[in-house]
Amino acid sequence: MKTFSTDHPLASLLDPAGSPWSAVAATVVALDGTPLAMQPTAAVRNSWRDRPIGAVRSVEVRALQSADALAFHLRWADDAANRDHGDNTVFPDAAAIALPLHADAPLITMGAPGAPLTAWFWRADSGNQGFEVRAEGPGSTRITGRTVQANALWSDGVWQLVLARSLAGEGTADSIALASGQASRFGVAVWEGAHGERGGLKAFSGDWRELLLA
Amino acid sequence: MPGIKRQMAMVMDLNKCIGCQTCTVACKTLWTASEGMEHMFFNTVNTMPGEGTPRGWEAMGGGFPGGEAQLGKLPAIGEFGDAWKYNHEEVFYGGKGQDVHLGVQGEAPTWGPNWDEDQGGGEFPNSFFFYLPRLCNHCTHPACKEACPRGAIEKREADGVVVVNEDRCRGYRHCMEACPYKKIYFNHVSQVSQKCIFCFPRLEQGVAPACARQCPGRVRFVGYRDDQDAPIWKLVDKWKVALPLHPEFGTEPNVFYVPPSAPARFDADGRMDESKPRIPDEYLVSLFGERVLEALQTLAGERAKAARGERSELMDLLIAYRWQDMFGGFDRDPQTIKWVEA
Repeated sequence: MKTFSTDHPLASLLDPAGSPWSAVAATVVALDGTPLAMQPTAAVRNSWRDRPIGAVRSVEVRALQSADALAFHLRWADDAANRDHGDNTVFPDAAAIALPLHADAPLITMGAPGAPLTAWFWRADSGNQGFEVRAEGPGSTRITGRTVQANALWSDGVWQLVLARSLAGEGTADSIALASGQASRFGVAVWEGAHGERGGLKAFSGDWRELLLA
Repeated sequence: MPGIKRQMAMVMDLNKCIGCQTCTVACKTLWTASEGMEHMFFNTVNTMPGEGTPRGWEAMGGGFPGGEAQLGKLPAIGEFGDAWKYNHEEVFYGGKGQDVHLGVQGEAPTWGPNWDEDQGGGEFPNSFFFYLPRLCNHCTHPACKEACPRGAIEKREADGVVVVNEDRCRGYRHCMEACPYKKIYFNHVSQVSQKCIFCFPRLEQGVAPACARQCPGRVRFVGYRDDQDAPIWKLVDKWKVALPLHPEFGTEPNVFYVPPSAPARFDADGRMDESKPRIPDEYLVSLFGERVLEALQTLAGERAKAARGERSELMDLLIAYRWQDMFGGFDRDPQTIKWVEA
């Protein structure tokens, strides 16, 4: 996927229904459930054996790049928006874009020891607060930054989400530094809260996809 | 358990629990008075037979049925019983005198902790009930810890107390699904799971947990599981009269119960009938396993011995003549300590 450069300021990119996005061609990314064998605990593996993981089967991804920021636009079908934890028994919908922090970081296991990845993460109960997280294997995710901006809109059975951050990032090893002309990779994950998806129970893009910055 | 040096444990004598909920309130006041914790009771006391807290928890699943880890049902706040809202402000500070009375506000509650308090079991004149206090069992094989994909639950090396590391917890609630005793709550404000911590900051200062120290009925014994000079080991291992609740869940609880006895039954003519117990054996077996029958026999034998005026170490232990002796050395008065809020 190539990002497209735009003259629009970041503020206008943050509107998921905004006009800058309508001109951008979508990359349709097919999603699969995370493999049962990859779930880190026996309790989760035993109890999800007969339950499909990954309720959302595809997502449209777009990317726009302003002078100093990169914004991803995700669009997927979801019959009902789950915006909170209900009465304990449901989970908020969520989505993330993963980016490698190391050339050998495997997406399928959320990185590996010594080969971390980062993700720009949004959850439906966090408002416009996006999170930068870092992981080096299943269950190791931790929040490392809060400069990712998020804005989500649900209507007529469709979520539209924008995740944006400055290209330069926070200048730390946990925060990926991006620049025009760079070739990187990305992955996508979507959690269907009504289906009990959280943590490692999610739909994801399987492997890294190419990401070429304008 | 590997990595655990010693294990704290508790024994509760169900023959002495009067259902006063002092333990519940002691715990509530100390640990779950903050925002987001309104519906939480790390300690509950329920009338048995009854649906319990959360409602119907015994059939919610989790634990290790047949030796395999399983996630059970995720209990809803409504099943625990949400905190009822009262018109305290209006009654106490509203200047309305006798014109207003304290009452639950909003929609009438349909469930709460020990909602079925006055029901019990059996048919008059042989009806029966007893109280069952519950807290986290600080299991040797903790289903919560083993289910958490983030390793956010720790079993403390020094005392085996099971705690949630709130910095690691992301609120996935697999622990709530996995705990077959349903003693874990989700805090919707801090968005982490929370549970009984066996008052470990008190233990570290030599003070028994608040639920035990505050109990007016001398129901609760506390101490290291392997301390052969203290009541826990004597009741669990030597006399074998203290048993875990639902051992078939496979988590190996470190909270044990001395099973309850009830007064004799009446027969159809209104005469005392000692031929079978008022609390059906099969009910107690369903709670504590087959070993409960042997425990009841031991208790009855020692009780008869004491009634004949003979000395019974077991009855002396259960009577707990010296209150401090119940705490296995954790008998320091908390008022002698200068506590500092973190």
